Amino acid sequence: MKQFWATFCKDLLVLSRDRAGLLVLFFMPAVLVLVVSLVQNNILETTGASGLRVLFVDHDGGPLAAKVRERLGAVEALKLVETVDSRPLSEGTARRLVAEGDYQFGIVIPAGASQIFREQAREQVRDAFRKKRQGVSPVATKAMPQVMVFFDPTVQGIFRTAVTSSLNQVLLGIETEEKGQELSRALNTALAARSGGFLMGGTILGEQDLHRLLIEESLLAVREQPASARPDRPLPNAVQQNVPAWALFGMFFIVVPLSGALLRERQEGTLLRLRTLPVSYGIILLGKIAAFALVCLVQFSLMLAVGRYLLPLLGTPVLDLHGRLPAAFLLALCAALAATGFGLLVGTAARSFEQASMFGAVSVVVAAALGGVMVPVYMMPRAIQTISAFSPLSWGLDGFLEIFVRGEGLSAVLDNALSLLAFFAATLCIAWWLFHRQRRTGG
Amino acid sequence: MTVNPARVPVHPAPRPEIVSATGLMYRYPGGGQAAVADISLSIPEGEVFGLLGPNGAGKTTTIAMLSNLLRPARGSLRVCGVDLLREPHKVRGQIGLVPQEVALYPVLSARENLRYFGRLFGMGGRDLNQRVEECLELVGLRDQGDRRIETCSGGMKRRANLAAGIVHRPRLLFLDEPTVGIDPQSRNTILENLSRLRAQGMTLIYTTHYMEEAQQLCSRLAIIDGGRVLAEGRPEELIAAGDDCRNLEDLFLQLTGRQLRD
Repeated sequence: MKQFWATFCKDLLVLSRDRAGLLVLFFMPAVLVLVVSLVQNNILETTGASGLRVLFVDHDGGPLAAKVRERLGAVEALKLVETVDSRPLSEGTARRLVAEGDYQFGIVIPAGASQIFREQAREQVRDAFRKKRQGVSPVATKAMPQVMVFFDPTVQGIFRTAVTSSLNQVLLGIETEEKGQELSRALNTALAARSGGFLMGGTILGEQDLHRLLIEESLLAVREQPASARPDRPLPNAVQQNVPAWALFGMFFIVVPLSGALLRERQEGTLLRLRTLPVSYGIILLGKIAAFALVCLVQFSLMLAVGRYLLPLLGTPVLDLHGRLPAAFLLALCAALAATGFGLLVGTAARSFEQASMFGAVSVVVAAALGGVMVPVYMMPRAIQTISAFSPLSWGLDGFLEIFVRGEGLSAVLDNALSLLAFFAATLCIAWWLFHRQRRTGG
Repeated sequence: MTVNPARVPVHPAPRPEIVSATGLMYRYPGGGQAAVADISLSIPEGEVFGLLGPNGAGKTTTIAMLSNLLRPARGSLRVCGVDLLREPHKVRGQIGLVPQEVALYPVLSARENLRYFGRLFGMGGRDLNQRVEECLELVGLRDQGDRRIETCSGGMKRRANLAAGIVHRPRLLFLDEPTVGIDPQSRNTILENLSRLRAQGMTLIYTTHYMEEAQQLCSRLAIIDGGRVLAEGRPEELIAAGDDCRNLEDLFLQLTGRQLRD
């Protein structure tokens, strides 16, 4: 036991004197958590609350453009811009500004769109009441000019979909309303004709009634809410999702200093000295694992503190830890052991410090990407989703999301914890086998 | 020209053997020739025994086998009265190693390194602190003991390396070229320290390329090459047995040749 504590204290002392290592272990993950949470918080605001700036060019000047303007303007996610530098926008200017990336989207309502749209709506309704076309208005035979949307090529698909969906929804609403009004007129006319003037110029369904029916009294509505309605569940937000995810990513970066420490021991000859001592190398390794796992837990605590105290100062929601700490720390301990096990394996297998640091860092980034830290697993292609199931970061992340986002307890993450411990055991066994193989061969 | 081992007078060891090695052989995996082909050594307790040889002669491999770092493919080996191949754990506490590299943690001070290695030997408390100070005193680093190893000069590092090898008071100390690459002052200090350790009854097994140093320090030595012992005995007797040899270096070159070794 004395040898275990001696190694534990020595490794903590060595780590505490390695400023670059401390920077990698504590400062970098904290910056990562801070930046990613802030950036993603802003993205969520952009898609949900504050608004994408969309250039709006009105060549029509009629009621169609006015309705599009009014209804798009009511969408929280969009903010219409019609003048730049106090001058009205032309289509050319709008296209240039979007192409240069100053704005992300542009919408053009073509000239005459209102008139053609109204004529064609009327014609379609009349068509429905007669067998064949007669006396069609020349405007109604024109092709309907299309509403155009153009976007900055760097804009991601999710945002394109958001804008085009909003526009489609608005146009569909306007079209339904217009056709409804025409239908109402046609019905009234037809019924009046069949009743032989019995209606005395009255109407069965007035335009105002129709507007109320079609637009104001919508029956089907969408309301967004978490799947679980339990009041103790945390609210899903960028902080709740990102802090544990990036904290896990940072913890796995223990691989770099741990594998480096093992390699230095090998290259500087201290391992040689350790191997002649009357103490099992297993005890020395356990002391080392304990020291580095403790560092991981301190790192995890620091990340939670960033989410709890620092991020809210920058305008994000507070990380909700209520009742979640015991399960979170137990899972963090399993993740820390998995990370140290992997670090031991890399440090034992690598032949040089460059190999260890490069392979260690790159493999952690790859495992994080596969594990869903950067892009959610459900967004990945099916084949990658299958591979993702083998990433220890995926097990850890799933567990943390259960705790921090779904509000589950320890029993829900037991599988994840056991998987991480199994990974730790497997990497430790392989590292131990490699170590003895090297010892036999004098490597 | 070679020295006939038969011409080297053999003195019966007056003290019990601390190392008794017979027919040791070791071949590194993938290496064609055996690094140690056939080495037999008998070293009485309290001696300073030198292992001399050109690069690649098998000195470090021999030390590695004697200190339980490598397991010989063939041969028998008793160290400190224990069969090393059967009961290595019984030997480890009795031996110390001063490797060729400065095998210390660079970001720790000499004092912290010594305390750590002392604790791994099961030492602790006042005994450990006292022993650490004794060792630092012995190697002339007591005043500089709190300096981190990475900031020390080459000579200081070598002296601290020696101190870490003796912190647990070993019966048998292996030193693999402990004076390589340092200034004459540091080398002299280390040689004086080794003499002091010998006077305290410690057995030293020592490899070096410095013939003068070996001649001055070693009570007996073996010249090895190609993984075999070419000559073994007291330095003055070996020199006398050589053909027209004025010193150990002449004998060494006679035995191992003048061609360059890689």
